[in-house]
Amino acid sequence: MSSLRTYAIKTYQNFLNILPNAEYSNSSGIKLVHDAGEKISSAEQRLILGATALMSQPFIDAHNRNVDENTRRVSVARTIAKIVAGTFTGFFIRKGCIKAIKAFSQLPGPKVPKYKTIFTPKDITKINSDEFIQYRNAMGTIVALIVMMFTNFAIDAPLTKFLTNKLVKKQEDKNAVK
Amino acid sequence: MPSSNLFSKFKTTLYKNYGENPGNMLVHTGVLGWILSSLAQVSAVVFNDKIPKEQKSFLIPQEIADAAVNIISFYLITSSFKKLASKLVSTGKLTTKPIKEFLNKNKVTDKIGNYDFNIENLPNFKDIKGEYKPFKNGIDVIASTIGSIISCNIITPVVRNQYASKKQKQALARMNVNTQQLKSPRGISIEDYQKMASMKHSGSLKI
Repeated sequence: MSSLRTYAIKTYQNFLNILPNAEYSNSSGIKLVHDAGEKISSAEQRLILGATALMSQPFIDAHNRNVDENTRRVSVARTIAKIVAGTFTGFFIRKGCIKAIKAFSQLPGPKVPKYKTIFTPKDITKINSDEFIQYRNAMGTIVALIVMMFTNFAIDAPLTKFLTNKLVKKQEDKNAVK
Repeated sequence: MPSSNLFSKFKTTLYKNYGENPGNMLVHTGVLGWILSSLAQVSAVVFNDKIPKEQKSFLIPQEIADAAVNIISFYLITSSFKKLASKLVSTGKLTTKPIKEFLNKNKVTDKIGNYDFNIENLPNFKDIKGEYKPFKNGIDVIASTIGSIISCNIITPVVRNQYASKKQKQALARMNVNTQQLKSPRGISIEDYQKMASMKHSGSLKI
């Protein structure tokens, strides 16, 4: 087991040796990196994933040679609908939950009602630190994931069906005109 | 009260683990998202009364296998990207000017890029912590986002299509050998089966 680990480390080291050293000196580039760490929460990441999914997944389905053209068209429409529905609910529910956690993770104090500290961890003295903001993002994301287990059926599935039908109908109308 | 104690421990663990590691948080909650979304997919089949029992015995293992492909490929790719990015920053391969100057001042430039070297273990690390941490967190978040894009939008759909195509071939081969042995899907043509598989595997619902 230890020899396997040594081998893995050696391989990793060889890979690191291939990569050149890099030093960032561009101040706007460094600011962008800092902002990414501070501002990209799971909600923004879901939005980025959705936007890039729209650029790649319909393309993959459109080139699936295992099925006939008609099936391919419906499959592309369904993929687009799934991405749009999933990204829409995924982004807003994550954002909403992170915001809600912020409201319920205040610093305990004489004027602060107890329910507003329900998500505040023990022994916290500062709530404006980067660590605490990341904690709120993490807790908000976990709550959002639980909420989305239900909205997946209540919103995503019917919205996907509705959008798929719309897209397929649009395609059929276009074909009829041709 | 034991449940409130458990919740308190959960909050503290979350704060300690993810407060300083937003990249880890994105990877772990991403995996959790895939697990919950897969659970939803499987339970949609389990609790659907309109699906006959014999079809369920075929669909449930397929849904579970599909979930395994999604979860494993997401975790392996995203965490590899994140770990590599972390290693590049912690070993000093990827730095900013102030971090490089700090390494020069500490006379550790010969250790840059060594697997065992970690800037965070230097005795006077606190002098550079304010510059280092936001840079490392940013690189981690960018790397895990790029990893997620490659995994969710490129590799997973391709792997899933390959998997679906393999499953189709296996089922069709069984159909040809002995149609009596094939419990489900029953009474459908090859074309219908391929269409169904294509529709099912054209990207799972992701939460």
